Amino acid sequence: MNTKEKSDYKYTGHIGQTFIYLFKLFRIFIFRNDWKVLPMAAVIAGMVSMVVGKGLFLTMEGTLQGAFALSCVCIWNGFFNSIQVICRERPVIKREHRAGLHMTSYVCAHLIFQMLLSAAQSAITITVCKFSGVRFPEGGLISPTPNGFIVELFITLFLITYSSDILALMISAIVHTTTTAMTVMPFMLIVQLVFAGYFNIPDILKDVTDMMISKWGTQGLCALARYNDLPAVLIWNRMVAAGNVDLGGIMKLSDVLRFVEEKGLKNRVLSELGKATQNAAYASTAENLISCWGHLVVFSFVFSFLTVVFMEFIDRDKR
Amino acid sequence: MFSDFFSISSDIIHQLCMIFGYYALFKKSGRKGWYALIPGVRDYQLAVTAEHEEEGKTFFILSACSFVCNLIFVYYDEGSAMWIVFGSAYFALSLSSFFYSIRIYMAYCDLYRRHRRWTVLWALFAPFVSLLWGYNKNFQPSHMAFDAEGSKAAAVSGATVDTIGEGLTVNLTDRTVIDFFRKKALLKDIHLSIPTGHMVLLLGGSGAGKTTFLNALTGYEKANAEVLLNGNNVYTNYESMKYDLGFVPQQDLMRDGDTVNMTLNDAAGLRLPKNIPFKERRERINGMLDKFGLHSVRNSLVEKLSGGQRKRLSIAMEFVSNPTLFILDEPDSGLDGIVARKLFESLRSIADEGKIVIVITHTPDRVIDLFDDVIVLAKDTGRTGRLAFYGSINESFEFFGKKSMEEILLSINQMDEGGEGRSEEFIGKYSMKISEQAV
Repeated sequence: MNTKEKSDYKYTGHIGQTFIYLFKLFRIFIFRNDWKVLPMAAVIAGMVSMVVGKGLFLTMEGTLQGAFALSCVCIWNGFFNSIQVICRERPVIKREHRAGLHMTSYVCAHLIFQMLLSAAQSAITITVCKFSGVRFPEGGLISPTPNGFIVELFITLFLITYSSDILALMISAIVHTTTTAMTVMPFMLIVQLVFAGYFNIPDILKDVTDMMISKWGTQGLCALARYNDLPAVLIWNRMVAAGNVDLGGIMKLSDVLRFVEEKGLKNRVLSELGKATQNAAYASTAENLISCWGHLVVFSFVFSFLTVVFMEFIDRDKR
Repeated sequence: MFSDFFSISSDIIHQLCMIFGYYALFKKSGRKGWYALIPGVRDYQLAVTAEHEEEGKTFFILSACSFVCNLIFVYYDEGSAMWIVFGSAYFALSLSSFFYSIRIYMAYCDLYRRHRRWTVLWALFAPFVSLLWGYNKNFQPSHMAFDAEGSKAAAVSGATVDTIGEGLTVNLTDRTVIDFFRKKALLKDIHLSIPTGHMVLLLGGSGAGKTTFLNALTGYEKANAEVLLNGNNVYTNYESMKYDLGFVPQQDLMRDGDTVNMTLNDAAGLRLPKNIPFKERRERINGMLDKFGLHSVRNSLVEKLSGGQRKRLSIAMEFVSNPTLFILDEPDSGLDGIVARKLFESLRSIADEGKIVIVITHTPDRVIDLFDDVIVLAKDTGRTGRLAFYGSINESFEFFGKKSMEEILLSINQMDEGGEGRSEEFIGKYSMKISEQAV
């Protein structure tokens, strides 16, 4: 066939190319040992549940710590999944782009693949937490069925992992080398941790937290765990530790606490302490949880779009 | 009050020393003196003079960002959140630009053939060192700065070649880029036509624009040119014609974690028309495996292949679509003589099938009998890639008065690269030759 005839042919379109790359990603996942991210997710989840699992979903403090830690685990998993996937094969992509590769297909293949990977990691994290003895409440905020909580927890963890994954994919599309990617990754992680809303942030920077995956992840997990309904035990435990404090020569602090316990008022005191520690952002409502999910979904869309945009400029790389 | 006066005075003295010092340095290097007036720009120009332009660019950008951060930083109250944010950014950017300035000063020491220990003095006392180096006759640059605008390159031919029905016709006026607010010509005045069935050697020293020319030829980096392949305009029909142009890059750009068979299969998926029946596609892939001797390793991972096998797979990936124009950038790099010879013989057989094969190689003489023509690209005095010759192999020996391709390459290479530095002479000679032919 001559040049003219060839130019009249139809070539593999966006959907066809997406499948070509999706299958390629699966093969490379097996051959290049990229599957290691799955056992790594299990190990990280095990460590975190060992440290923060005891008070998770039981007390306010344990839940806040645990929610923050789980958010960090998901963000780490997401970042690690894709921070190198594009930049490590950037010259190969340039070659294929020259030969007819559509960047939307390439990015779509990654989006589908990373979606499955993030889902697997979220399932692994929940399974490990379950086996580590973390007690999950029954009933979710949207679905009151016994397994509703697990389902909603899975969706929350998945969305945190996936949005982080796509953020890392975008970074991988921007930077040109794996060295730069691995230098940027800890910096991005620190930004996510600092602005998660877990620490006191100056008012002027409060708006920055709204742009953080970690903030909406932690908020979603706290809302799902019914944070505001849980007892606050930190102050009680501190008072127990400081039981020898003399109260004006009349009695000691430990005597007051013993009195409260003997009168069966401990739970009420803890509950009242909890009310004083309530946070409106963690309201246990379906609307709040959906709002958190919505933010994470929007992040995923924005990062995906930007990834495609950055990839379209790949031909402008200097040699 | 006194401390303010002292601070302002020292700033003024610092700036004046820098301006006068850099002015003298730029004059010594043959650059425009007014560059010294603008902070940031003068450091960029210092880097350009020392032939470290990339460092100069980065330094300029970092300095500009740090200047902006400083302006914002002083606006906020001390201890406020924004003061901390912009203060940190200012500190980080200043520190980064400092390290880039060290690189520039080191390069400048090299330019003046002075010990790099001078870098410490430059970093600490740049205003005074610039005055010393600028006005002391003992400090002289080893060479003048390159000035593309001031250089006088050979005149362009102004000729164009006629379109040939069966083959490649190139009429390239120029290929320019805007780099840091300046227009640079990478290629200029290249006109040639290659008939189908020809295997062409692309010869040129480093930086002569070989890869840029090939990219312009395939429409990947568009130039101010008209490129016709069998009468079809490559630029205006790029989206459909790119499937008829095979480009094998110098590096074997493939995914190591995939098998040979699937790599070729996916390459076929991208490059072959989708309405080709599965059986025909499979036959084509198997044909490629046989043609390039990859059948025995078809199920191996790419990372397990030898250098020669990787190279052949890389070529097969492009040739699977049976392109009319087949371009290879140093396909023999890393291959021994026998393997390289075999590879070039298979390229010859591809050309004999009625294709155009263009090859860049740095060891052409061992396979020169397989080529029909040679394109010689060379840098003119403005460092622009120009056509120094296009024609048959024997004509090229006669034109350059040499007996081998390596001798031709030596004759056009710059003297500081160990060549004879005669590129300008041959560009002018060839330009005149084709002008006369056109008349």
